[in-house]
Amino acid sequence: MIEEQTAAVDITFIRDMLEKNKGKMKLSLRVCAHCSLCAESCFLFNAYNNDPKYMPSYKFIHSIGTLYKKKGKVDRSMLEEISINIWKRCVLCTRCYCPFGIDIPSMIALARSICRSQGVFPRYD
Amino acid sequence: MIKGKRKPLEEIKSSIDAFNNILIVGCGGCVSVCLAGGQKETNTLKADLNMLYKQDKIRKGLKTFTIERQCNVQFLAELDEIVQEYDCLISMACGAGVQYLAERFGQKPVFPAINTDAIGVDRGVGIYEEQCRACGECVLAYTGGICPVTRCAKGLFNGPCGGTNKGMCEVDNDVPCAWHDIYERLKEQNRLDCILNIQTPMQWQNQVQRTIVQEPYESRYRQNRHSTS
Repeated sequence: MIEEQTAAVDITFIRDMLEKNKGKMKLSLRVCAHCSLCAESCFLFNAYNNDPKYMPSYKFIHSIGTLYKKKGKVDRSMLEEISINIWKRCVLCTRCYCPFGIDIPSMIALARSICRSQGVFPRYD
Repeated sequence: MIKGKRKPLEEIKSSIDAFNNILIVGCGGCVSVCLAGGQKETNTLKADLNMLYKQDKIRKGLKTFTIERQCNVQFLAELDEIVQEYDCLISMACGAGVQYLAERFGQKPVFPAINTDAIGVDRGVGIYEEQCRACGECVLAYTGGICPVTRCAKGLFNGPCGGTNKGMCEVDNDVPCAWHDIYERLKEQNRLDCILNIQTPMQWQNQVQRTIVQEPYESRYRQNRHSTS
């Protein structure tokens, strides 16, 4: 387990995962107009005094968007940073609403899968 | 949240003995939180099984994969391509997740690695306490927030029984009497009138499989049912 947490990030593996989902991911990132309408549908955004970091769009842009922009070239600390947006700020209740039809939960789930593949995931002990 | 505990290793091993390529599927939901079936626990199970098979000098292809929730079809879909390579699946989700996984991949044997124990609360890291039996007829409003279905050995709705003894239950002197606690709680809140009336018997709803539809969505599912019939 400790090995998993300290091993070098497998960039090729991340790239493969991104490549497999490229179509949907690219379209989602392009379509987002930053209209912030998704914000109101997030109960965490409301619970945390409308903190913009809890906006669903922020969470998916600062997770899968970052991974896509960097073409998977990320280090462990960056994955840890991303993990805050996709785990601590999102419970994946899948209730977020996008007027353009972006499937934000699936984008966040993809980011989680990428983090998990590199041994970055929440610890409850 | 749902609480569970890993099955004995030998039991898990015996269910997969006949298979060679096995995928251990973790769940990122409730069982992750109760340290029974998350990504960390899938890795532990894999290591434990590998060790047992190594002792027996048997080679098995064991792999792990964790999805966000096994009770949601959207996340299960992530496994569609992956499971094809395996002879069977071990699910580390609760009973609901195991069944949903087995339903989606009907051609693959699915084995549970977790005993689903309770709906409970976190008393601390690794210690959980049952609080709810999902009976479908919540009475907490008049029992001062203490569940007689879960906590009373007899599940009484009008207690206590004659077996209450100085605040303890007759089945075990170390088990507090739920109805004694209900009485004390209501007395503290000056609401003892709540338990003066005889409560009608529970209409047990957990004898058949239940489907839960929230009120605002009832018309939607009624329409769907009509359109499909």
